[in-house]
Amino acid sequence: MNEEELVEYFRTQMRKDPDMASAVAAIRTLREFLKRDKGETILGLRESLTWATDCLTGVDSSVAVSSGGELFLRFISLTSLEHQVTDARHIVSGLHTGTDNSGLQRLWCTLAAGLISCCLSQDLSRCKKVMEERGELFLEKISMSRAKVAKLCHTFIKDGAKILTHSYSRVVLRVLEKAAAEKKRFSVYVTESQPDAAGRQMAEALGKLNVPVTVVLDAAVGYVLEKVDLVIVGAEGVVESGGIINKIGTYQMALCSKAHNKPFYVVAESFKFVRLYPLNQQDVPDKFKYKADTLKTVQNLSDEHPMIDYTPPSLITLLFTDLGVLTPSAVSDELIKLYL
Amino acid sequence: MPGADKETDLSERIEAFLSDLKRGGSGTGPLRGSAETARETTALLRRVTAQARWSSAGDLMEIIRKEGRRMTAAQPSETTVGNMIRRVLKIIREEYARSRGSSEETDQQESLHKLLTSGGLSEENFRQHFAPLKANVIEAINELLTELEGTTDNIAMQALEHIHSNEVIMTIGRSRTVEAFLKDAARKRKFHVIVAECAPFCQGHEMATSLSKAGIETTVITDAAIFAVMSRVNKVIIGTQTVLANGGLRAVNGTHTLALAAKHHSTPLIVCAPMFKLSPQVKNIYIYLSLSLSLSLSLSVCVCEILSKVNVHCPVFDYVPPELITLFISNIGGHAPSYIYRLMSELYHPEDHEL
Repeated sequence: MNEEELVEYFRTQMRKDPDMASAVAAIRTLREFLKRDKGETILGLRESLTWATDCLTGVDSSVAVSSGGELFLRFISLTSLEHQVTDARHIVSGLHTGTDNSGLQRLWCTLAAGLISCCLSQDLSRCKKVMEERGELFLEKISMSRAKVAKLCHTFIKDGAKILTHSYSRVVLRVLEKAAAEKKRFSVYVTESQPDAAGRQMAEALGKLNVPVTVVLDAAVGYVLEKVDLVIVGAEGVVESGGIINKIGTYQMALCSKAHNKPFYVVAESFKFVRLYPLNQQDVPDKFKYKADTLKTVQNLSDEHPMIDYTPPSLITLLFTDLGVLTPSAVSDELIKLYL
Repeated sequence: MPGADKETDLSERIEAFLSDLKRGGSGTGPLRGSAETARETTALLRRVTAQARWSSAGDLMEIIRKEGRRMTAAQPSETTVGNMIRRVLKIIREEYARSRGSSEETDQQESLHKLLTSGGLSEENFRQHFAPLKANVIEAINELLTELEGTTDNIAMQALEHIHSNEVIMTIGRSRTVEAFLKDAARKRKFHVIVAECAPFCQGHEMATSLSKAGIETTVITDAAIFAVMSRVNKVIIGTQTVLANGGLRAVNGTHTLALAAKHHSTPLIVCAPMFKLSPQVKNIYIYLSLSLSLSLSLSVCVCEILSKVNVHCPVFDYVPPELITLFISNIGGHAPSYIYRLMSELYHPEDHEL
């Protein structure tokens, strides 16, 4: 699969189902890439997948695509290591203690894998088959994640609640859909969210659900917060510290909510967890801040307006994910379990 | 028939326990401490395990869940009952996993890792029969009971690390755990305690009497004086009814005021709470006025004409957000409020959060 085919497949996936998260589309594209890959070794596979992920971030520079790609890569490594373990067991059987997947066991696996680095081609095809099956399963599971998040979050919306949200988030929309389906009465304030006025799209979608919605200016967040009971926002990426990366204006909203003592809830699927640890706004890499086309064409980035900002964990009350209701401090735990 | 006798005996005991719970909440029966409730619940669950008819772990869990739902419905404000049921359910799951010989005990939580590497949508249905399962579960429940018996002592043992000589400690209402904590420290140190009386039941008075009998200098203050006196206090040590999953508390009314005053003066707020008080509930944004009892007792001096025109609300519990708490002291040591989610994942299985 060359670059054009890759990009075309990704674009088709996004067009076919506008409700799908961009990370999911990226993972689907990478899985297709995996199917068509003609590589002979695991290492080669990893390299080509890294290249594919880079191409995709060239199309859509959002954090979600990058996190989806990294997750898929991680999935490949874990599957391939596991597979090599079953082959290498006769070599390292004496060293296994039979406990859980500890870092030590993985170290031994890597060593064993290095010993039998001549991965026979029939082994590789077996391995790829397992990967494809698991990939299918993984995609199935994450397609259910939005429903899980909605199930957890809608209980926090009480009758008569006034909710403030930011820009257009499909997860927040799903949560509000579920709450409306449970016959709860609530009203929503949405910020317009310039420069792309995505908030108006959200207002339209909510209008279809017969939910009373008001579009407010981005500058009116402080003004409207005294009337509001809770703030719910989505996230493009959830970082290691438990903070989030989301459309520009989220940080402001979080600060104002803190000042008004209103709870600030974040709803995000678990595949958005990303291995970044920004300490302030400048720490967020430029490749996430601006749109992919801007990055390619513009010379001086300091003249451009960033599309996202970082909200630190101290301003977030709770995160609703498909792994459960998490406090921001629990997020790093989840990431460690996966990546280390 | 001995089998039928056992079953009727068991259901009698469960009914007796349920009616006890119901009476305890309405204020007419004897007020029981949460430790007793926890112990009785666990003993009852052990009896259920021993005497009820079940062939696989799944059956047992279903029976316990059913009884658990009845118990929590009898007295929703008594969260220790639900907590103990969830602990026992987790014990059953662990024993089952151990009997099967799988090393997946640690992997029971949902995690990104599990999402990526699990082989299939395997629904663990606990249908396999294992002969030694019953004995193992009962043994594990016995261990749980031993743990419950030692909680107050374990907490009290840590007192000397936290209380120093010539300190002024403030507390509110009456908590058996805090009482034991302070009495243990009083054996070696000399300090002063200020107790807020906690109207309208004024349990603070009993606390003060009990502490002064142990030789501790105690002062009783009204709830309104908490802020005024706070500037002279070194530490605030309180008990709680429940510890919520986000690290917040559901404690006796007046505790939120106390916590805010402590925050204002940058006084550390220490909560002595045994592990069985940890509940998987997360506080909803609206504070629930559970158990508003009538104030007819204390408004005895009130003129009758006013009573007919006035609505009196008396919430029994307060919600204290986790930002106001400095430290939790439990029978397994001291923890920060942001760590509570972790302890909870060790005590309960996520599928048991909803009974």
